[in-house]
Amino acid sequence: MWIERKVLAQEIPAAAALDTRQLCEALAALGFPVDGVAALEGTEALDVDITANRGDAMSHRGIARELAAKLQQPLAPIATGAVTEGEALVPVRLEAEACPIYATAVLDLGEGVTPETVQSFLRALEASPKRLPAVDASNELLLRYGHPTHAFDADAIRGAVSVRWAKAGETLVTLDGVTRTLTERDLIIADEAGPIALAGVMGGDSTKVTEDTRRVLLESAWFEPKVVRATARRHSLHTDASHRFGRGADPAMARVARDLLVARLQAWCQAKLIGAWTAGAVPAPAAPVDLGLALLARVAGEALPVEAAQEALSRLGCIVTTVGDHLRVAPPTWRHDLAIAEDLAEEVLRLRGYEHIPSVLPPMEGPPEHLAPAYLLRQRVARRLAQLGFHQAVTYGFISPEADALFASPDNPAAGRTLANPLGYEYSVLRASLLPSLKATAEQNLRQGARQIKLFELAPTYRSTPAGPWEQVTLAAVWGGVQGGEDYLSPARAVLEADLAGLARDLDLPGLPAIHRLADGLFGFEVELDALPRPQDRIIPLFRPFSRFPAVERDLSLLVDLGQSYAALHQAMGASLPAESLLELRCVDVFRHKSLPEGQQAWLLRMRFQAERTLVGDEVDGWVAAALAAAESLGAKLRA
Amino acid sequence: MDQLLPPEIVEAGQTFPAALAACGDLDTLLRLKGAFVGREASHATRLMELLKTAPKEQKRELGAAINGLKQQWEEGLKARQAELEAAKRKLGALATTWDPALPPPQPPRGALHPLNRLMDRLVDVFRPMGFHVEEGPEVETEAHNFDGLNIPEDHPAKASSDTFYLAAHPELLLRTHTSPVQVRTLLRVAPDLAARGGIRFLAPGRVYRKDEIDPTHSPMFHQVEGMLVGHNIGMQHLKGTLEYALRALFGPDTEIRLRPSYFPFVEPGCEVDVSCPLCGATGCRVCKGSGWVEILGAGLIHPNVLTYAGIDPSEWSGWAFGMGVERMAMMLSQTPDLRLFFENDQRFLKAMGGLD
Repeated sequence: MWIERKVLAQEIPAAAALDTRQLCEALAALGFPVDGVAALEGTEALDVDITANRGDAMSHRGIARELAAKLQQPLAPIATGAVTEGEALVPVRLEAEACPIYATAVLDLGEGVTPETVQSFLRALEASPKRLPAVDASNELLLRYGHPTHAFDADAIRGAVSVRWAKAGETLVTLDGVTRTLTERDLIIADEAGPIALAGVMGGDSTKVTEDTRRVLLESAWFEPKVVRATARRHSLHTDASHRFGRGADPAMARVARDLLVARLQAWCQAKLIGAWTAGAVPAPAAPVDLGLALLARVAGEALPVEAAQEALSRLGCIVTTVGDHLRVAPPTWRHDLAIAEDLAEEVLRLRGYEHIPSVLPPMEGPPEHLAPAYLLRQRVARRLAQLGFHQAVTYGFISPEADALFASPDNPAAGRTLANPLGYEYSVLRASLLPSLKATAEQNLRQGARQIKLFELAPTYRSTPAGPWEQVTLAAVWGGVQGGEDYLSPARAVLEADLAGLARDLDLPGLPAIHRLADGLFGFEVELDALPRPQDRIIPLFRPFSRFPAVERDLSLLVDLGQSYAALHQAMGASLPAESLLELRCVDVFRHKSLPEGQQAWLLRMRFQAERTLVGDEVDGWVAAALAAAESLGAKLRA
Repeated sequence: MDQLLPPEIVEAGQTFPAALAACGDLDTLLRLKGAFVGREASHATRLMELLKTAPKEQKRELGAAINGLKQQWEEGLKARQAELEAAKRKLGALATTWDPALPPPQPPRGALHPLNRLMDRLVDVFRPMGFHVEEGPEVETEAHNFDGLNIPEDHPAKASSDTFYLAAHPELLLRTHTSPVQVRTLLRVAPDLAARGGIRFLAPGRVYRKDEIDPTHSPMFHQVEGMLVGHNIGMQHLKGTLEYALRALFGPDTEIRLRPSYFPFVEPGCEVDVSCPLCGATGCRVCKGSGWVEILGAGLIHPNVLTYAGIDPSEWSGWAFGMGVERMAMMLSQTPDLRLFFENDQRFLKAMGGLD
């Protein structure tokens, strides 16, 4: 909220001596950081950040009260005129506990407008003056003292006034011109003809003060914060009044604010007080709160003198007595946030300054815990992929239904993963797969001129279940564009499915995941992280003896049909070879050329053998012949 | 046939292919060549002598065998020699033409996402103090996200204007902070908290709030939560831990400052400022000339949070903090637009990320 410096200094004269920086630092130390300073209307205003628990500070008086406690300087007294209460001119009936006190007055308005100083104050605080004294005075009081009040056109009110729960279906046109349909949980002010105001939120249009208003009925009440918050939310009607009542106004201010309002109208437009009276009374204060000195010492990090704590709380307006080893504290009527001992300990520390809190490392009370295997696995996989040239992407967890449908399995309906209130249609489904997001990201990069795109993401995907979306951490990688060709030794070529297969093998994925062709020259796969092998418990593996005899390598160049299955060929050749001596059998080259017989290609199969002895040529020749025979049984021929 | 030849030569013949393949350079190959087909004392000369002295009726058969062997050896040696010479030529060509200024082949180099790097770094910083990592789901219950954290029933954050809810499961939402991991973890460890000697952990993760996408807002962002529960824990322990961690992060001269603030799940609550790591607290654009940058919110765990988890607040106490990862990343890198972190332009990722 904006705090105007001159008016602040009227509430706490000592503030006038502080320069802006000192003032900002004092406020920040109290928990009210200043977000900005503005020079407005020939004065300076501070944009003070006030936390939601401190409704009492949402005014110049409230901020002044905090500064007074911190600086140990006096507040200026509140100058109320002498208003003598008398008989109720209009009956005011409090029919709901949510409004325990309702102070009011009726005045005849005279000639005159809002003083220029007040108009300028309102403008400085971005509250546009209406030049109607009853309205401007109410606004000025709210900003200055934090207590919302309201002025009704008394001649528009029919019969007795009551504060009651609305009847379902009752309507009220509020000051903003909107017709509100009320519920039984809306607290209203009503006359005998129906609702005339939403209590603590906004007045009604039919009873508003206009230039023609001759007689006003003032309202200065106190409403239950929860009730005001609920009504404001229900009607999406957040006003200066609802903010203050919703965060807890000071019930003791009801009469005071009424008196201040009367005095202003008397001064500004020669208004004549016809009568003033109050229905109800200030509610009984909450029970005092005990602050144990041991708890205070624990929170503060050191034992604090009991007198210091007592004095600090007293400065904040608390009534403090010492009872044995604790302080019994009755908070002031404006503080609704001091409910437990910890709240009071915070107040003591706050006034003392958090800079005095010592700095201590907490002692270990038990052994530290390990990092979870799933966490370590993610770290390892991410690092491996980064080493292999992949970039980690972070994309939104919700996507459009169309994008989701690309990779969601039929047994994973989007309905169970759809948001009730998405930012928009394109962000409405918790994704079943990471691939749609990575596909879009990769294509965007390629459109932007990336030659090669290598991305991965580690994030949850969702599966619809009756209990809600089931979450599993998933790894997806996409690779596309052109690789190589960036230096004189590496030929350029398009990225192929086979590259993704190699990546899957590098990550020790069990089996080959489905490799999706996402677009021309763009491929990707996706696996649940649970499918990856966990880091081994052993630091290093168990020793297994290995042969020190030389390995023998033989190549077979085979002509096979273009449709030949490599898996079948590999399986047949492998089966024909002695398992105990075969180190490796792999295709190391594929040759396709018009010089080969039509419909055929050449595969270069490399075999490596090793044993616990020197292998002799005849023996190996025999094995190779057997492997060739196995290949020939599938139609392969030795390439001449 | 073989019985006509000396057994040692038969054996040598069998090992010839392997010996030939094992020749890695021309010198070794020439030695092998000398041993098999050299003019003096080679297997070939010995065989020729054998032929001279052989009985006449065996000469024809023996001669054919010897010629076959010699031919096999000579052809093998010749082919291998050609291979080795070709390799040597290629090496020589490279050695004479290599220009170190020519761009060499680059091993691939990717990058971890800058937000993940930052979160990992935070974990590294807290590990020596005995913190481990706890994680929780992104789809949460209202109970874990709000109720267990002393957030009142009618808190505005619960509104559908602030929090994403699931259409088919009105009680489920996308977590709005990493704090539900506190609730889950405390509920889990409460029964054996004494045996464990309290608990201390970090909870990094993704969170969601219903903010429109603009240069400073994103509906999905990251937080790192920290929590410690033990005996007699006070504000001094929060300050001590954060001072250690933030100095490890920003440098040994870093100062920290606690300011009172309010969060429903802590009491007392505070905001923590760090002396501006960019200008050394002399004043710059990032710290708006103040020398301080707000870095996280923290406080002592509210007794209601401990009680909700079944932990007695008269025996146990602790602190918690929560940090916005994007905010810190933007501050440290001076990235002007939050959306860059989610656009995943490879140029950005390469420039802002790294391998660790």
